[in-house]
Amino acid sequence: MSALILTSVLGVVLLYFGLFGNKKLLAPVGIVGLVAALVLSWTGWNPGIMEFPTMVEFDRMSVLFNCAMIVVTILIFLFGIDYYERMEENVAEHYALMIFSLTGAFLLTSYTNLLMLFLGIEILSIPLYILAGGKKRSYRSSEASFKYFLLGSFATAFFLMGIALIYGVTASFDLHVIQAKLATGASSNVLFLLGSFFVAIGLSFKVAAVPFHFWSPDVYEGAPTLVTAFMATVVKTAAFAGFYRFVQMTGLPPALANTLLVMTVLTLLVGNVVALRQSQFKRLMAYSSIAHSGFLLMAILANGVMTPNTLFYYTFTYALATVGLFVVLTLAKRAANGNEAITIFRGLFRANPWLAFVTMLLLLSLAGIPLTAGFIAKYQVFMLAIGAGFIKTAVFAVVMALVGIYYYVLVIREAFTPAEETPVLVVSPLNWLVITLCGISVVAFAVWPLNLVG
Amino acid sequence: METFNSVIRQVPLEHYLILSFFLFSIGLAGVLFRRNTIIILMCLELMFNSVNLLLTAFSAHHNDPGGQVFVFFIMLVAAAEVTVGLAILVMMKRNVDSVDINQLNRLKW
Repeated sequence: MSALILTSVLGVVLLYFGLFGNKKLLAPVGIVGLVAALVLSWTGWNPGIMEFPTMVEFDRMSVLFNCAMIVVTILIFLFGIDYYERMEENVAEHYALMIFSLTGAFLLTSYTNLLMLFLGIEILSIPLYILAGGKKRSYRSSEASFKYFLLGSFATAFFLMGIALIYGVTASFDLHVIQAKLATGASSNVLFLLGSFFVAIGLSFKVAAVPFHFWSPDVYEGAPTLVTAFMATVVKTAAFAGFYRFVQMTGLPPALANTLLVMTVLTLLVGNVVALRQSQFKRLMAYSSIAHSGFLLMAILANGVMTPNTLFYYTFTYALATVGLFVVLTLAKRAANGNEAITIFRGLFRANPWLAFVTMLLLLSLAGIPLTAGFIAKYQVFMLAIGAGFIKTAVFAVVMALVGIYYYVLVIREAFTPAEETPVLVVSPLNWLVITLCGISVVAFAVWPLNLVG
Repeated sequence: METFNSVIRQVPLEHYLILSFFLFSIGLAGVLFRRNTIIILMCLELMFNSVNLLLTAFSAHHNDPGGQVFVFFIMLVAAAEVTVGLAILVMMKRNVDSVDINQLNRLKW
């Protein structure tokens, strides 16, 4: 709770710093505040008195997810110091909006009331609509922003209709009360099924599950790289945590479970297959992110005791690898005058061997090659799915994971192919730090898997 | 509150349900088929308001004020969302000098 209050105040404080023109201080103050929020979140590991138990509940699962999201945001801020130095005038708003978005993410991981779920999703999304349009004079950025806004609000309308129908059946927004009502047989009510179906549609939009994924490649491509990194990591983590809480509440009635199953299969298929023909790196990452949503949906579908752990481990390691890759992309893009094609990675090994090596590690982790954290994450998901009896889906997911290796290796091949003229990469110490941290942690988490109890 | 609830309860719940599904569908069709972005924003509002109507009706029939409180939250959030949306629309208008949704076609595949 105190972390939630701290971040919402921190955003306002950062806006004031921007007002008085202290551009240099913004990111350091933001990072200090986030570290404080991290400490405050972590002290909630042993639950004490619950404030507002009918609204939010910071249990161990939400503490884990919150800490992971704060760590990723700190990494993005470290990246942002260098990124915003040369790009924007009104930097304070960008940092503040990201912090506000993080506040919404906290609500999503810990809600016990559908009202908080709604507010969490909106507090998470509205700053992102603005952030996606961060480059005011770029047409692509405003198009991304508008598309995101339009489809986001559209999804919200469905989501609200779902909440209204659930309320109509159970007469309450409180998850505990709803759960008790469901136990007495309300879960077979048609209106309830329709309601939970609509809420699932709204949440699938946020996690970019097929067939609600159309916004994601466009928005990823058009938005500024830093914002894309934020969307691919923090937002995805929060949305999946929120999704899991909702599924846990409904206990997955068969109709909903079948829908999710179809969505999982489609997401795995479309994400991996369409990624094969991408030539732009950001779009490739968007489809890769869709594919990862498929694996995460499978974990949610299994809905077992280990699901929160698996979701946490998977989203966290995925986020670390993604943030690192987007930093590398920014560096390579700068050397290539704003080009974002995969070919800009060519000659990376000649230009900076360490960078190329870490890029390889990060991509291998996303692909799920053994000895990286991505492998353990995928392994856990497969075990979870098999344990819950989804054997065919698990086999299909393994095949899709193998297909996925191809497009990641394609990028690695580019990085290790010598270019005609070796790109000149300017790597600031902070960027180097972020990339190295991501690279090391991806291997470290594979060696010592986090088996924290949710 | 009590008189208000009893007035609402004079109409059976199904009628509210059908009416708000109908309004929701009109909004949905508008978002999907209209090309003018301002009209699309209006249709989004229509979808939100159909939910508001449904929540109010449920709230009165359950005799539980929670649903009506939720409506205030929806209004607030919808206002915030439209504020941001119109600002984005103005930004887009400056870049392409049009509010036609078909202009949004430079990012694909």
